[in-house]
This record gives sequence, structure tokens and C-alpha cells, in this order.
Amino acid sequence: MKKVLIVILILLPVLTFAIDPQITVAKANKAYTAGFYDNAVELYKSVIAEGYESVELYYNLGNACYKQNDFASAILFYEKAHKLDPGNEDVNFNLRIANTKITDKIEPIPELFYKRWYRTLLESYSVDKWAKIGLVFLCIGLISGLLYLISRRLLIRKAGFWLGICFISASLFTFLFAWQDYNNVVHRKEAIIFSPTVTIKSSPDEKSVDLFVLHEGAKVELIDNIGTWYEIRIANGSVGWLSASAIEKI
Amino acid sequence: MSKQILLSFCSFLMMITFSMAQQVQFSGNAKSTVEVGETFNLTYSVNAQATGFRGPSFTGFDILTGPYTSQSSSIRAINGRTSMSIAYTFTYILRASREGTFEIPEATVTVDNKQYKSNSLTIKVVKSSGGTQSTSSRGNTSKNNQVNGVIQAGSNDVFIKTVVDNSNPLQGEGIILTYKIYFKVPISQPSITKPSTYEGFWSHTVKDNVKLNQYNQNIDGEVYHVADLLKVVLFPLKSGKLLIDPYELECVAQYKRQTKTKTGDPFFDDFFNNSFFNESYANVEKTLKSNSLVINVRPLPIADKPVDFSGAVGNFTFTTLLDKTQTKTNDPINLKCTITGKGNIQLIDKLNTSFPPDFESYDPKITNNINSSGDGVSGSQTFEYLIIPRKAGKFTIKPIPFSYFDLSKKRYVTLTSPEYTVNVEKGSGDNNIVSYSTPGKEDIKYLGNDIRHIKDQPILLQRIGTFFFGSLLFFVMMILPVLIFFTIFLIWRRLDERRSDVVLMKNKKATKVAIKRLKKANIFLRDKKQEPFYIEISQALWGYLSDKFSIPLADLSMDSVHEALMEKNVKDEIITQFIQTLDNTEYARFAPGEKTMIMEKTYQEALEIITRIERELR
Repeated sequence: MKKVLIVILILLPVLTFAIDPQITVAKANKAYTAGFYDNAVELYKSVIAEGYESVELYYNLGNACYKQNDFASAILFYEKAHKLDPGNEDVNFNLRIANTKITDKIEPIPELFYKRWYRTLLESYSVDKWAKIGLVFLCIGLISGLLYLISRRLLIRKAGFWLGICFISASLFTFLFAWQDYNNVVHRKEAIIFSPTVTIKSSPDEKSVDLFVLHEGAKVELIDNIGTWYEIRIANGSVGWLSASAIEKI
Repeated sequence: MSKQILLSFCSFLMMITFSMAQQVQFSGNAKSTVEVGETFNLTYSVNAQATGFRGPSFTGFDILTGPYTSQSSSIRAINGRTSMSIAYTFTYILRASREGTFEIPEATVTVDNKQYKSNSLTIKVVKSSGGTQSTSSRGNTSKNNQVNGVIQAGSNDVFIKTVVDNSNPLQGEGIILTYKIYFKVPISQPSITKPSTYEGFWSHTVKDNVKLNQYNQNIDGEVYHVADLLKVVLFPLKSGKLLIDPYELECVAQYKRQTKTKTGDPFFDDFFNNSFFNESYANVEKTLKSNSLVINVRPLPIADKPVDFSGAVGNFTFTTLLDKTQTKTNDPINLKCTITGKGNIQLIDKLNTSFPPDFESYDPKITNNINSSGDGVSGSQTFEYLIIPRKAGKFTIKPIPFSYFDLSKKRYVTLTSPEYTVNVEKGSGDNNIVSYSTPGKEDIKYLGNDIRHIKDQPILLQRIGTFFFGSLLFFVMMILPVLIFFTIFLIWRRLDERRSDVVLMKNKKATKVAIKRLKKANIFLRDKKQEPFYIEISQALWGYLSDKFSIPLADLSMDSVHEALMEKNVKDEIITQFIQTLDNTEYARFAPGEKTMIMEKTYQEALEIITRIERELR
């Protein structure tokens, strides 16, 4: 009994700290439902400013931005949510809707079918989900291995052997997926254009040749960075430079 | 005065005498006395091909128009002599601006590279004596004209104008454009040959004044008859500067001509030379062109513009009527929306209706009743919607908004119809066939496209940038099962080893135990102790079996021995022999005959089978 009390006393400050943003989120949700979208945006953003994130938080914030017709911000937050959980159907749906509202229509280069499949497979779960699936597979694989090693029955030993091999290799693959997803999230830099129109230059120089024009809400991949300039690539493969002030990183 | 007459007479004489000799004659001609404000003609005529006419400078007169050049040529044959004469006339229309006596200096003209000068004219301007004077003076001019045999139709006798009541309207605000004709002389058959085009306007011609609406108007001291030929209501469709180009009109102007018919009879002359008989009219066809107009259209305010605003400007009322609120499926209902008022009512071509999706609705039947009068367009526009409910239930027809810009209030006004609730009962089943879709199932109709709602359940928040993958917990959870796996495996192996040690030991000891037992049995045999002997033999055999093949003693019985041994891959022959021996041992106890002999034999058999198995397993 004493021990329990001590544990509670230790956890209490942690718990109160954890409850506070939850209340803010609940308030923001209420504001959103009541139609005070600007209020909701502020509240959601304050939670993020406190250093929290989650798929739902970004999703709700994106919705609130969308309702204010701020499509660039909406896309930014949907993309953030998408990054955390690529397989989330609601996020992807709203992202698709928001993308119909922006000016630029960029035709992505068609990917080779196996690459597309692989990407779809990768994106079907988030990093942590892959990691958890991997752990479960690993456990099943190890139990099967034990059965193989311990059992005296031939049938069980056979089953244990093959199951063990299957599950352990499956777990290795899922860890690979998780690692790749993780790399995508952490190292792959993408951004959303925030200035109403931005001219993409041929080199990081104001005087260089104008290549093409992008508008608010377009998604770009950041390849390189020199000073305040970013080299970007858009989905159709076009590459160019733009000033850092025009974009917001995902 | 007399000098003037003399001069003109002289010039007349000279004209007669010199024209024969193709003498160039250049003279100015005008009334000698005019009133202030009177318009009169000043003509210079020359009887040769003339170029480079330079008019005089006028003081005391305003030039209204001119100089106009007109040319006439005639070929005369008199008594076999043919002569050709050309006459050039340069005409000014002047107006006397102030009282006094003014001299008009000579004009010059070039004929065959020679310059000729005209006479100078002195004109006395007297005070105006009223409107009647002007008509009489015009009578003079016409009389003067008669002298020359030419009808002098002044260009300002008839003219046309385009007039708008408001040249700075709002977009969509009606303005009235009037085609006006001003005339001093009688006119007939006015016909518009080329109407104005109203680019950027929606126009509606006012039809109610077919007959010309005439009145008098004094323009610069002259009384004109004014007729409104046509009125058009224009609604600007866009903002900015819009041009209304001139229209053209043809008409016939009638000029009085007085011909003095001299018959020599004073009575006849008096009779016919009065105004009734003596006046004839010369019809002059005129083509006239009006002014062009620039209309500066102001845009409607952008602020507070309703979403459903479609350009209606004016002052309207909006009424709706639903013929029934209780109906059956496939039984049509009728919604009548009427917009009544003043403004660009015909431009309202649609209403923002939203019927329930299970209602089948058609494009509305639009009827209008437009009255246009001198002060704009008013009337009503009716939209009749035929709606057919295809499904039973309770439906709501949402309020229909109608927005317009109120000109008097200078702001947008939105009128809405009431909300109607329609109760649809299921009609007779056969009617379902009318429905275009197959009965029962139909495709989902997508009515709109919007984002999905937020997630309102409690959210599991996490610190930004933290992942389970790659975290300490993750690695612990990955390594822990592996550790558990190896621990379990090792423990199991240790246990297994120990167990197999026991078996091995038993295996090794089995022979020894059996031999020990057999030795004991041998002692019992010598002592002829039957009971203990058989117990030992039996135990030796069973024990051996149990230890040798690590079968628990409890599992062994006469029935299971065979299978147990089979499992241990013991030869069938040996199994049979072993079972035979066991049987014999059991049997021998109770067998009749020499006890010692049987005991001896049993002992030998037991020894033999054990030895044989030992040999066999080696």
C-alpha cells in the first residue's frame, strides 16, 4: 500500500503535465465543432508549441486550417500527419480534398510497378506500427524455434523449424520497413509553398533564369541547401531553386 | 444702303456681261441687316473652278458652321451657242453676337493660280425684336434663296441627338437613352437607318410611345420642335467606360418655296401670290448623325456581396408558392417563385434552389411580364419548378435565397422564401416504373465534397520527434525475447541432459541388476525356495526391460510389452522369445511336475534371453 502511494506521488506531476495539453485539445475540438476555426487553430498550435504531436492533432489542425480556406497550412499539417501515419485513411482523404483546392496540378512521374507496390507496402503502416509488428513476429519466431529445439515429436519439430524461419525473417523485413519509414520521416525533407506565387530559379541567385512558377500549397522535395536557398524537386521531376522564405518544411 | 444695291446691281450686270467672256467673278453675299442672335448665311460664290478659298476673319459674328463648299455646273445652249458655267459656293452660317455695324473683310480664292478677292460686306446688327422676327427674317432668307433659285437648307435646321438621363450609373442600374430630333422646318418620314449599338449593355426598347412625343425647346434663342423618336432602357452589364456610338437617321425636310407667278392680271397675282397658294415645298432628304456618348459605369460594391448574388439591381419583392405540401410519390408538386419589381428583372435567369436529392426537378419554366415606361423597366419574372418526389418520406425544401442590390438603400438585400416541409406518402406501387432507375437499388448520389470531421476522441500525444522504433524500449523488447529464448533453451538442455544421464545409468545398470537378481534366484533355486525364486526371476526380467528401454515400470504389462519393445526397434523374434519367457515364468509357478526341474529351466531361459538382448543391443 505504501509503495503504491509513493508511485502515485512520483507520477503525479508527470500525470498533471500530461493532462494539460489533453484539455487544450479537447477545448480546440469543441471550438472546431462550434465553428470557431481560428480559435481552434490557435489552441492546436499551442499544443504543438508545447512539444507534442500526434497524427490526430495534425489532422484536426489541418481541418481547422482548411475550414478557414488556408489550404497551404491545411496541406502542411495533413502532410505532417501523413508522415507520422502514412496509412491513415482519413488523413489521406482530406489531403486529397485539400490538394484539389490549390492552383498547381502537378502530374507525378509514373513509378515502376514494383516500386509503387513497395512504397504502398511501406506506407501501409507507420514506423512504430512496423516496429511493433516486427517485435510480435520475432516473438512468434522464437517460440517456434524453441518448439523445434525442445520438442521430441517429429511433426512439432518440423512445424517449429519452418514457422521459426518464416517468422524471424518476416520480423527482419518488418524491421527493415520500419527503418526505411523512419529514414523517410527523419531524413527526407519536404516542404509546402506558402507564398502565393513563387518563381523557381535555375540557380540560387535572384538574377538567374526563371524556370517555372509554383503557387501556394504545392509540395516540393528539398534536395540541397545553400544559404537561404533550397534546391527543390516537384513530383513531375522538375528541379530548381527557391528562397527559403517561400516554403514551410513538413 | 443704296450704294450696296447699286454695287450688287453692278456686279449682277458684270456677271451677265463678263460671264460670257469667262470672266472670273468672286463675290460675297449676305443680309445687310440682322438681329442679335439671328443665324444667317454668308455665301461666297465664284463662277470658275476655284481652289484655296481663304475666308475672312469675323468680328462680331460667331461661326456656327462652315465654310461648306458646294459646286454646280450647267451647260446652256442658247440660240445654238453652247456655254458651260461652273459655280462654286462657299457658305458660312453665322450668328450675330452683338449689336453694331460690322464689316466683313474680303475673302480670297485661287483660280488658275491667280488670286481673286471678293467684295467686303457691311452688316448692321440690330437689337432682337422677339421670336416672330426670326421667322420673318427666315422668310427673308428663303425669299433670297428664291432669287437665286436654290433652296438653302441650313445644316442646323434639323439635327439629332442622343440623350441619357444618367451618364454615371451603377452596374446593372437602368438608364434611359432617348433619340431626339430637333427641327425648325417641318420634317416627314424620319427613319432610323442605323441604330446605335449598345455594347456592354442589355437593352430594352420602350414600346409605349409609338407616336412622337413633341414639344418645343429654345436652344440659343431659337425655338426648335423636339420629338423623342425612341426610348431605350439600358442596363450596363460591366463596369467602366462604355461607349454608345451615334445613330443615323434619314428624313425629309420640307422647305417653303415661294414662286411668284406673274400672269399680268393683278387679281390673279394677288390671289395666287398669297401664302396659301403660292407656297410650295421643296423636299430635301437629309442624312443625320447623332453624337456619341460615353457612359461611365460604376462597379457594384464588393463588400458584403451575397454569395448567391447574380446581378439583379433595382427594387424587388420575392414571393414563393408551393401548391401542396402533402403528396404521393411520383405525384408532381409545383413551386412558383415570383420576383416583382423595378430593375433589370429579365436578367434574373436562375434561382439558387436546392431540392432534396430524392426529388426529381426540372429546369424551371420562366415567364415574365415586363412593362417598360419612360422611367424604366418594371414587371415580374416567374420561375415555375416542377418537382416530382420519387421516394416517400418527410422532406424539407430549403429556403431559396434571392439577392439584389437595392438602388435606393445603396446596399445588397437578400430575400428568402419560407422553408417548406413536404410530406410524401407512398403512392401505388405500379408508379415506380416511371422512375428511371431500376427499382429498389440505385447509385449513391454524391451531393458535395468536403473534408472529414476531426477526431474527437482522446488523443495519445507524444513528444515531437520521438519514435518507438529505435528507442531504448524497442531494443529492450527486441533483445529480451532472444534472451528468454536462449535461457529457456539452455535450461531445457540442462534438464534434458540430466534426464538422459539417468536413463543411461539405468541402461548400464540394467544388466548388473538383472544378473544380481538372477544370482539371488539361483541361491533360491538351490535352496528349493520356490516362491522367492519366481519373484526374483520376474523382477529381474521386468526390471531389466524397464531400465534397458527406459520404460517406466508402471507402463509395463503383458499387453503393452510388445508395443513398447516394437517402439524401441527390438527384433520381432526377440520380442516373441522375451514374451515367451515371461509367460513361462508365470506359468511355471503353478505348473505340475518336478519343481526343481522347472525352476532350473526357467532360470536358464531368463538368463538366455537377457544374454541374447545384451548381445543384440551391443
